[in-house]
Amino acid sequence: MRSAARGAMPTALPLLAALTWSLLPLLWQLLTSLRTPEALVLQGPSAWLQGWTLANYRQVLQGDPPFWRYLFNSCLVGAASTGLTLLLAIPAAYGLQRQRPALRGGISLLLLAAAMFPYVLLFLALLELARALSWGNQLLALALPYAGLSLPLAVLLLRAAFADLPAELEDAARLEGLNLWQRLHRVLLPLLAPAIASTAILVFLFSWNEYPIALTWISRNDLLTLPVAMARIAGSSVYAVPYGAFAAATVLGGLPLLALVLVFQRQIVSGLTQGAVKG
Amino acid sequence: MTTAGLHCEQLSRRVGDRLLLDGLSLSVAPGESLALLGPSGCGKTTTLRLLAGLDPVSGGRIRLDGEDVTHSPAGERQVAMVFQSYALYPHLSVLANLELGLEVRRVPAPERRRRIAEVLALLQLEGLERRRPAQLSGGQRQRVALARALLRQPRLMLLDEPMSNLDAQLRDQLRPELRALLHRAGHPVIHVTHDQQEAMGLADRIAVLEGGVLQQVGTPQELYHRPANLFVARFLGRPGINLLAGEAGVQLAIRPEQLRLVESGGLPARLLRREWQGSQQLLWLDTSRGELLLLAAADLTPGEQLQVTWKPEDELRFSSASGERLA
Repeated sequence: MRSAARGAMPTALPLLAALTWSLLPLLWQLLTSLRTPEALVLQGPSAWLQGWTLANYRQVLQGDPPFWRYLFNSCLVGAASTGLTLLLAIPAAYGLQRQRPALRGGISLLLLAAAMFPYVLLFLALLELARALSWGNQLLALALPYAGLSLPLAVLLLRAAFADLPAELEDAARLEGLNLWQRLHRVLLPLLAPAIASTAILVFLFSWNEYPIALTWISRNDLLTLPVAMARIAGSSVYAVPYGAFAAATVLGGLPLLALVLVFQRQIVSGLTQGAVKG
Repeated sequence: MTTAGLHCEQLSRRVGDRLLLDGLSLSVAPGESLALLGPSGCGKTTTLRLLAGLDPVSGGRIRLDGEDVTHSPAGERQVAMVFQSYALYPHLSVLANLELGLEVRRVPAPERRRRIAEVLALLQLEGLERRRPAQLSGGQRQRVALARALLRQPRLMLLDEPMSNLDAQLRDQLRPELRALLHRAGHPVIHVTHDQQEAMGLADRIAVLEGGVLQQVGTPQELYHRPANLFVARFLGRPGINLLAGEAGVQLAIRPEQLRLVESGGLPARLLRREWQGSQQLLWLDTSRGELLLLAAADLTPGEQLQVTWKPEDELRFSSASGERLA
């Protein structure tokens, strides 16, 4: 026992450091969200004994519109973006994998370039587009640029996952008389579930965090997505920064993602490491 | 010529400027088993994929029971294949693996159950229905793959290196079982292998391929004793055939088991090395006509002077230029 514990120490230390690095800001937010504004500036150990409150949560949840409305908006846009991306990326990835290697390499390179492009540079053009098509203040219209921006990476990830499946599996299904849709639906996609889950999470996360497009496309208060709504909370007063309310919004805004990751964690982990052990 | 079974004529496959298969003509009768034998890259797997419809043909024709299927999609040919990796669907149970094909071909549920029960019994897979492929042994996986192929009720059964994923002992045990099973099923069978022992053990006839060209088709005995050319002669038989210098333009060859050691009157030979093989020893002899391999029961030591002889009618004569066997 003792020697095993000693053996674990050298690897546990950097891990602990990494966890502290990532989690401490979150913990700080959680604590801040539960404190009164006065308590935040108190000093000394005795400060921990007083100033605890749920008022910050009450404030954001009872705001107009209530905070859950932004959560709902973000979930809706996230689900639509993810659904649209997968709907297009899965067949595209399959098609790409079936091309001649030279063509596949060329297209992959273009996709990679598109995935690497800093999309912030596009937001003015996208704003013009939204104006021309009257897509301003249409919540679901946000899913179109989000899916468009997520597609290149999604296609690349799923293409790699298709490539990892043994080709003989699909050959066997073809010989048994399964058509393309049946092969995808009954054989290939169930085996790709981990890759699809991790791709979906990435797309959802992008949509969840996206700020510039949401800021410029949506102005109606009840249609805001989380990042924009949070920025409004932060800038709601010229005279004070509402740290407590902002922290409460952060905590609430993180909960759906936490739930999502907990539900799909097995798929995500195996998806992220898929193909990593291939020689 | 009968129309039943498989007939292919001048079958070719070209990818870019590489000719993978060059004008293969073959017939396999129902109930007959043919082995495609050759070294890696000889075109044997290419042939299977063309017959299955997995790759497009570049030339020639394929007929199955009289019907031209040269350009039919794989799913409509009624051809079954057991893949080298077995290609069982890893996310499905044995039962679901067997049922998927029947289901998409709209076989009614009661008939599905009846036919699956039949093959499960035939292949002694009862009790394994709920297992996933990963929970099966190599031999069991092979039987599930075979069961799935049989459920296809194929007009042609293709087997790609069916034994290569099994250990040697299991292979020896399964070969006669597989042979009997395939004979009983009664469809034409083609199986691909690079293992001549497997080819001889499973097949009624063997087709030897090299460089995408068919070298010879015949019974194992024909190929062994009357090889069409030097390639077939050298490819078949372990230990390999001995090559001897002959008259100008002629390459002589003789099988190791046809050489005998004699007291006197033979070709003088010096024993170079020996390998003990249980019942016999494999001997390497140095002679004036080249190095010879032979099998002998006697216990000999390297360096010994011996004499070796053989019957002239056992000699195989090949043209040095073309490699074809001379009459």
